[in-house]
Amino acid sequence: MIGRWFARTPAGGAGAAARGLDWLNLFVANIQTGFGPFIAVYLTTQGWTQTAIGVALSLGTITALASQVPAGALVDATANKSRVAAFSIIVFTLSALLFAIWPVPLAVYLAEVLHGLSSCTLGPAIAAISLAIAGQAAFARRLGRNARFASIGNGIGAALMGACGYYISERAVFFLTAALTLPALAALVPLAEPGDRRTRRRRAPPARRQPLGRVLADRRLVLFATCAMLFTLANAAMLPLAGSALTKRAGSESSLLIAACIVLPQVMVALLSPALGGLAETRGRRLVLLVGFCALPLRGLLFALASDPTLVVLIQVLDGIAAACFGVLVPLVVSDIAGPAGRFNVSLGFVGVAIGVGGTLSTTLAGWIADRHGDAAAFVALALIGLAATLLVWLAMPETRPTRAAAANPQPGD
Amino acid sequence: MARGWRGRRLAVPALTLLLLLAAAPADADPAPAGDADSTKTTQDRPPGAPPAAEPGPAPATPPEAAKKAEPAPPKNLETLTPGEAIGLLGKKVRDAAGEDMGMVVDVLVDGDGQPRAAVIDFGGFLGVGSRKIAVDWRLLQLKQVDSTASVLLGLTRTEVQAAPEYKPSSNPAQPVMVVGPPPPSTGASTPANAPK
Repeated sequence: MIGRWFARTPAGGAGAAARGLDWLNLFVANIQTGFGPFIAVYLTTQGWTQTAIGVALSLGTITALASQVPAGALVDATANKSRVAAFSIIVFTLSALLFAIWPVPLAVYLAEVLHGLSSCTLGPAIAAISLAIAGQAAFARRLGRNARFASIGNGIGAALMGACGYYISERAVFFLTAALTLPALAALVPLAEPGDRRTRRRRAPPARRQPLGRVLADRRLVLFATCAMLFTLANAAMLPLAGSALTKRAGSESSLLIAACIVLPQVMVALLSPALGGLAETRGRRLVLLVGFCALPLRGLLFALASDPTLVVLIQVLDGIAAACFGVLVPLVVSDIAGPAGRFNVSLGFVGVAIGVGGTLSTTLAGWIADRHGDAAAFVALALIGLAATLLVWLAMPETRPTRAAAANPQPGD
Repeated sequence: MARGWRGRRLAVPALTLLLLLAAAPADADPAPAGDADSTKTTQDRPPGAPPAAEPGPAPATPPEAAKKAEPAPPKNLETLTPGEAIGLLGKKVRDAAGEDMGMVVDVLVDGDGQPRAAVIDFGGFLGVGSRKIAVDWRLLQLKQVDSTASVLLGLTRTEVQAAPEYKPSSNPAQPVMVVGPPPPSTGASTPANAPK
């Protein structure tokens, strides 16, 4: 129903394939929810020590970091992207079942590795399917729509998993996750046939493929990866830090307030993303990128100043704006830069590594500062990193919108 | 030379596997780590007895399973009847009003092996925004000793929520802050740290 409603908005790509892609984004975001910080809660209920949990989580992080680029290369080299997506989702199912059935060290390590690997192939595969269905010209709008449905999925996922963990058991969350991989697979069905034909038709001929080294050494790509790294370095720790401050200050309603802090940005992303995708197409990437990056230092500063719990939740609107811009622009800018060279997914993996490194360092850095100088100082430090990222985008990052689109829709400026 | 290179290629996955296998038994500890609380109910027993008592069901299987000569179980086995002791890690914590107060993630013991404080992971949503707080051991109570019952904590939410976060491996000179019993005057909502 929702799919039919949204199908009327200009989306790029029509009919069953576009709707299948909507649902795919929704359900994939849905199943990712349980694999977040909740794993630590679940393993604790299974009598795991904090050290053992740390080992398991690090293993997942390292796997994801190490396999981003190879996974991207694999997706680039495979003609049938929907088969890659299907295979990744099945590995997801396996990982969730391992968590649910055998919460013992070796099985959990295996599940972490499987999850790390499959999320590295699933993301690029969905981006590649989107590009194949929408085509380069409508890709920005398609990404906006992807982000809308992914955030709806995230919001629903958080609500479902939260309720499941609260009313049934922590273990049930992973059975639910495994069950939700089935509709994700079903969403792939309408994508399999036309997607393949399109992919084959639109795939860059091998002669146009540029050597990997030259693509990854592209100044714009390295610059963008640096900006993305700084963005996540400033961004990733803000929500956990704000949440922990809420637990400290608010009473019994603090868990609900934290849930609101998670869901409100998802609502913002769902509302804003399609418009931002359109804006990136008509007014250029730099504008949207700057809006998203500016929201970050502002948010850090406001978190440092605000103490009222309601205010903390409201500040999360800025998180939604930043997340919407970032979520649409990362695949879009990478496709601008590396798409014509036939190296879209491997480059997306490269930027993914930068994002992963930023995210991993962020919580450590923020925790370290918060320990010594308090929460406010940590927020100010994160805001300063966000400011540096914004300045880097503003001063150094060039417009990447293809000139073909610019010629069809002329704009002043670069 | 080619063989040497191939050997090195194999060495990496082999080493990873070895590391995983080596890590596995070390992390298999979580369940027996509940020993910490069995010392509570078996304080008068000699050191070393609680671990030996852990593999309770083990003696049932060896007669059939032992094809080779397996070492005989120690003679000094003691039994903990159901309801006498349980593992504490991961147990839900509630206050007197039955409100959710998180769960036990660690137990701090002193040089004599006596528990001094429990670390509870408190608050948050789906693992976001929770805080680890150490509470005085004497404030914990087990109404029923079974694996599904929750631990009763003699503090309220407001007495716990603003306590300093428990940090496991900071510098040894820094004391661990533990939330102690509330002051007798019931001085509103200010959390009281253990007077030491």
